[in-house]
Amino acid sequence: MKGLLLKDYYLIRSTLLFNLIVFVVIAAGMSFLVSTWVLTVLSTIMLGTLSVTTINLDKSSGWRKVSCVLPVSRKTIVDSKYALYLLLSGAGLVLGFVLGGAAALLKNEPDSASMLIFAGISVAMALLSGSISIPCNLLLSEEKSIISLILAYPLSAAVFIAASLLTGDRLVTCAVTAVLGVILYAVSWIFSRKFIARRDVA
Amino acid sequence: MNENALAVNGLTKQYKDFTLDGVSFAVPCGTIVGLVGENGAGKSTTMNAILGLIQKDAGTIEIFGKQDAQIDNAVRNRIGVVFDGNNFPDVLTARQLSNIFKKLYDEWDEGEYFALLQKISLPLDKKIKEFSKGMKMKLSIAVALSHHSQLLILDEATSGLDPVVRDDILDMFLDFVQDEGHSILVSSHITSDLEKVADYIVFIHQGKVVFVKPKDELRYQYGVLRCGKAQFEEIDRADLVAWRRQDYEWEALVADREAARRKYPKAVVDPATIDEIMLLYVKGEGQ
Repeated sequence: MKGLLLKDYYLIRSTLLFNLIVFVVIAAGMSFLVSTWVLTVLSTIMLGTLSVTTINLDKSSGWRKVSCVLPVSRKTIVDSKYALYLLLSGAGLVLGFVLGGAAALLKNEPDSASMLIFAGISVAMALLSGSISIPCNLLLSEEKSIISLILAYPLSAAVFIAASLLTGDRLVTCAVTAVLGVILYAVSWIFSRKFIARRDVA
Repeated sequence: MNENALAVNGLTKQYKDFTLDGVSFAVPCGTIVGLVGENGAGKSTTMNAILGLIQKDAGTIEIFGKQDAQIDNAVRNRIGVVFDGNNFPDVLTARQLSNIFKKLYDEWDEGEYFALLQKISLPLDKKIKEFSKGMKMKLSIAVALSHHSQLLILDEATSGLDPVVRDDILDMFLDFVQDEGHSILVSSHITSDLEKVADYIVFIHQGKVVFVKPKDELRYQYGVLRCGKAQFEEIDRADLVAWRRQDYEWEALVADREAARRKYPKAVVDPATIDEIMLLYVKGEGQ
């Protein structure tokens, strides 16, 4: 799997600088308008999305076919995409904490409750959207999978709002959706290993 | 050692509008087998099924003596695959590919890879998107040859390339099979390439294998008989494999060129190219 992850790292690295500049510009603006901890959501989603884009790059470059004739199982190929998503989303979360924390200190607004809420939102949004976008991108054509990527975040937000309406407490909502995200992500991973890995590639 | 590097038996795959129907052939060790056929004949479906890219409906595939589900990573380590066109992300460089494959193949030979790239004049640190089509194909072949593979499977590896690059690539194939343990299965609709390098020809037409023959048998025994209408009427159809009418003459494929020359001295009997054999089978009438 290391080779597959290394390939994705090279792919992501080629666009990382551009994405980081976009992130810094948006982050700087947003941290003055809303809670600085919103940066955790932004960076977690942004880096997670980068890993999903590698699935489409694999399709368009023909690497998908190549990877299926390498001495790695199809399940390993699927695993590498889910693992990469977790790694990058995790890195995004850490980056968000660092930047959000730094901005909070600069604004002299340290707020641990907000930090926990936004950490929960980040984890929930990343896992919920990943559990939709990864299998869709593995399964569908490039055009259709872009639609899935667009829909994954509003759907995740809808789950979050529904949970919020049901529980009525922000912290509980974050905890519930984060746990739901973990469960859905695991189900999505198992489904993809079992069914998508067996599908015809050519 | 198993005498066949690859054996395909009764391979069947059904699509809505196409059926690959009981395809059987083998790639003996130390040989180059050419898979020929018109576009849509079933070459790529056969290749994809062999490579496990599509699920077959029936039949068996045996590689290095291991069948179907037994074809594991150890077997895949011994197979080099080249597809038509570039199949590596074009933002990568040849050096980065080496770093990747080092972690994927058990026996990735970086020294061999770099030496091959130098031999075929490919830059290490240039992005693949800056390569020409011929360079990309050479890179794919260099990768396929750099992990001590014993079986190369090449799907239309020479299509769309100019004659000089194609010749370079064919030389690489011939070098590879100098080792008796090495074998190649190559599909192509450029039959002249296969005439240069193949030991056996597998001809697929409409999803079925029409024949599997040593190339030399086709070259030295088959012939194309040409004659006028009156003479053609007198020819025993049992002597002909297939025939068709051209503008001013009849053209017929014969399996024994010398016998046809003796029996029909007034007719012209020329050696048959694989192209002509294919055309007569596909477009001609037959027994």
